[in-house]
Amino acid sequence: MPKPLHADGPSAEPILAARALTKRFPGVLALDHVDVEVQEREIHAILGQNGAGKTTLMNILFGLVQPDEGALFLRGHQVEFRSPHDALAHGIGMVHQTRRLVSAHTVLENIVLGHPRVRGVLNLRRVAPEVEVLCNKYGFTVDLAARVWQLPEGERQWVEILKALYRGAQALILDEPTSTLTPPEVTTLLAGLQALVRDQGVTILLVTHKLPIVMAASHRVTVLRSGKVVARVRTADATEDMLVRHMIGRDIAVRTGKRSGEPGLPVLQVDRLSAVNDKGQLALQDISFSLREGEILGVAGVTGNGQDELAQVLAGLRDAVSGTVRFDGRDVTGLSPLAHWRVGIGYVPAERVEVASIAAFSLVENTALNYHFDPAFARRGLLDDARLEQLTRNILSGYDVKAPTARTRAQHLSGGNLQKLILGRVLSRKPRLLIAHLPTQGLDVEAAAFVRAALLDAKADGAAIVLISEDLDEILSLADWVAPIYEGRFGAVLPRAEADIETVGAMMAGWSAKEVRVQ
Amino acid sequence: MRLGRYDVTLEPRTTRPAFYSSLTAAGAILLALALASVLFLSAQTPLLEAYRAIFSYAFFNPNGLLATIHRSIYLLLCTYAFLVPLRAGLWNIGLPGQVYAGGVAAFAIPFVFRTQEAQTLSLPPVLLILLMVASAAAAGAVVGGFAGILRARFQVSEILVTMMLNSILFWLVAYMIKEGGPFMSPRGEGESFALPPALHAPLLWGVPFTAVLALGAAVFLDILFAKTPLGYRIRAFGQSPAAARYGGIIPLALSLLVFLLGGGFAGLAGYHYFAALPGVYKISGNYGYYGDLSFYGIISALIARGSSLGAVPIAVLFAGLSLGARFAQGELRLPFGVDYALLGLLMMTFVASHVLYQFRVAWRRVPSLALRHAPTQLPPG
Repeated sequence: MPKPLHADGPSAEPILAARALTKRFPGVLALDHVDVEVQEREIHAILGQNGAGKTTLMNILFGLVQPDEGALFLRGHQVEFRSPHDALAHGIGMVHQTRRLVSAHTVLENIVLGHPRVRGVLNLRRVAPEVEVLCNKYGFTVDLAARVWQLPEGERQWVEILKALYRGAQALILDEPTSTLTPPEVTTLLAGLQALVRDQGVTILLVTHKLPIVMAASHRVTVLRSGKVVARVRTADATEDMLVRHMIGRDIAVRTGKRSGEPGLPVLQVDRLSAVNDKGQLALQDISFSLREGEILGVAGVTGNGQDELAQVLAGLRDAVSGTVRFDGRDVTGLSPLAHWRVGIGYVPAERVEVASIAAFSLVENTALNYHFDPAFARRGLLDDARLEQLTRNILSGYDVKAPTARTRAQHLSGGNLQKLILGRVLSRKPRLLIAHLPTQGLDVEAAAFVRAALLDAKADGAAIVLISEDLDEILSLADWVAPIYEGRFGAVLPRAEADIETVGAMMAGWSAKEVRVQ
Repeated sequence: MRLGRYDVTLEPRTTRPAFYSSLTAAGAILLALALASVLFLSAQTPLLEAYRAIFSYAFFNPNGLLATIHRSIYLLLCTYAFLVPLRAGLWNIGLPGQVYAGGVAAFAIPFVFRTQEAQTLSLPPVLLILLMVASAAAAGAVVGGFAGILRARFQVSEILVTMMLNSILFWLVAYMIKEGGPFMSPRGEGESFALPPALHAPLLWGVPFTAVLALGAAVFLDILFAKTPLGYRIRAFGQSPAAARYGGIIPLALSLLVFLLGGGFAGLAGYHYFAALPGVYKISGNYGYYGDLSFYGIISALIARGSSLGAVPIAVLFAGLSLGARFAQGELRLPFGVDYALLGLLMMTFVASHVLYQFRVAWRRVPSLALRHAPTQLPPG
């Protein structure tokens, strides 16, 4: 545990302070009178779940977004950042979650790119020694002549940090810096950041939802929940337990779904399933569970912990690296997406606009997306348009979709109506297994309640459901089994009765099952 | 854009009445003709006389009308060759190459059966003609399918591949027909041997039977895309490959299929031009001109917005105007290239009308408040 440099001394003038920041977006209060104080030469963590307001806060601190109320203070003086240029001019740098480098250029070229001093004529031979001196000072061992695309992800991140420092940044904002790194790279990064603070007097603002990172590297933590600051503590005084409680909140009403009387027949058996993401990294590791008719498994986790890969493998859209998926006793691993639809597996993807629907198609044509292969909807080699339209009308009325006609283009539907249409379409196939990924994300309260009720109806009809969600309340209210997922692994598969909000929340933030059990 | 106190923007139209489509097309044609009058006036040609020469030759003169029909069939087949992959979101720029492949493959049949000179045929002529048609379509399909496989399997840009194949096939044809090539004419004039009369494509009312193929395909393709499961899959894939994959559509098979189909149509166009046109019946030395002409298929497919029936009048218009303007150029001693210029103008006005069809120009008065300069405050420090 690193020691804060002025842990016990009188509070010095903070290098960066936000006072009563408030930011409203249409229908959302993203930040509600948020106060943050960052002391010089400390690693200050901003911790919160997705949607807690971390991103908005960070964007305001870097000048990307202007607050509706409140002000920023730099060493006690009020400042106004109208763009990132202002923030950079005041010595605040930012390292985004995704890399913003020119991958075909060398490290040196990337570092000097956009620097005010090289705006006119680029003289690399003149700036190279300066950058080298800087590298030596901070102890970086990146090859300046290397092309960025040749570097591993961890080193690319260092290039961005170096770029910010070359522009004279005194304070660095790092947005989820560990999200794309391998464990050894994370260790290197955290050690490097601590060295920067200790030896060079740089101040670091670490924005993350990962508890282990906060505990390992930060001096102080500010916890955000639903746009409000709910805790402000020194890391030394904090326990993971306590931070989890702040982050997730206790006072949440829990409404459980209908219990089914007796367990149904087994539908799905997943055994030691592993898969890689699009970059070829192992994103899903040794997942095992089984599910019976009329049961819901709630997979709880923060986005990016392998949920996409899990949903896609179960739907046949991604190959498994190892392990098996058995559906009704039959091995379906490696079958085509079409075969998955045919055997009775339905999939509601998280990307309702990009994947689950076609914006320029009419609602009838969108219905055909799950029926174009169905012999019942083909007549003499043609698609049975009348029947498709009838089915679409049934979905519109049965799922309370507000649309002018069945021939309206999908792009004119609101998110909630589109989601109800997609869910209605998939459920109209009466799937024995439904994979629902973030089915209520971004929906208003009413539409979300409708979707949840539809899931419970499907369950009552005997469907087995894998519900993947970030919303712990939703999972605890609907699921029979709860599986917290963190970095591609299930922390455990808990019966609902044993899944309390603290345990699941802690596992979502990276606690392993063993630690939780010991407690 | 701001003009004085007005803010002028292009906004997408929410409603698009059906008659509006024809109206904008008609407007585009009139505008192109109006702009072309500058060309005629600069050549000191009376306007009415120039327009009369163009239209009377293209659509009322018996010889001209026949040439217009022949050229329309060719352009239509080229249009389908571009249109089918386009509906799947893929760009087939390889029309000339596929046309050449079709021509060479059609002439390969009499060459292989040694019937190019002898008066006695080894097989019934009808069978040989069918073989020529099939061979032309298959050769175009193979060339197109090559790009389709590279695209589907290895994500190689189909635009680059088809474009480069054009060049390869251009020189392949040159090798086949020029001096010393296998298809060389006996008199060695840089063109292929002529088909024996028995292998000339049968005429229906003076028009080669390929007209039936072109018009039949216009009906067939529109039905395919609007009504059949396969057409639905192609359109879904063209709109959103991710959604199509989610819906169980196999991208690899589909990319290959549309390029096979498209290449097949271009191969037929090659058969039509080199083996079915009265007065031609050979691969002439200036075959490159017909290759270039095939690119008008791209334009008519785009203007018709993917509808094969909608492409029919557009292909006829392009065919007629290109022939009529060429005729008028000789008749009225107009400067070289008037036909190209007229087609170019037509293309530009069609593209412009496309924008106006999908967007509308909105004029909005800027509130005076917004014009006032906002006070700025420099941050201290």
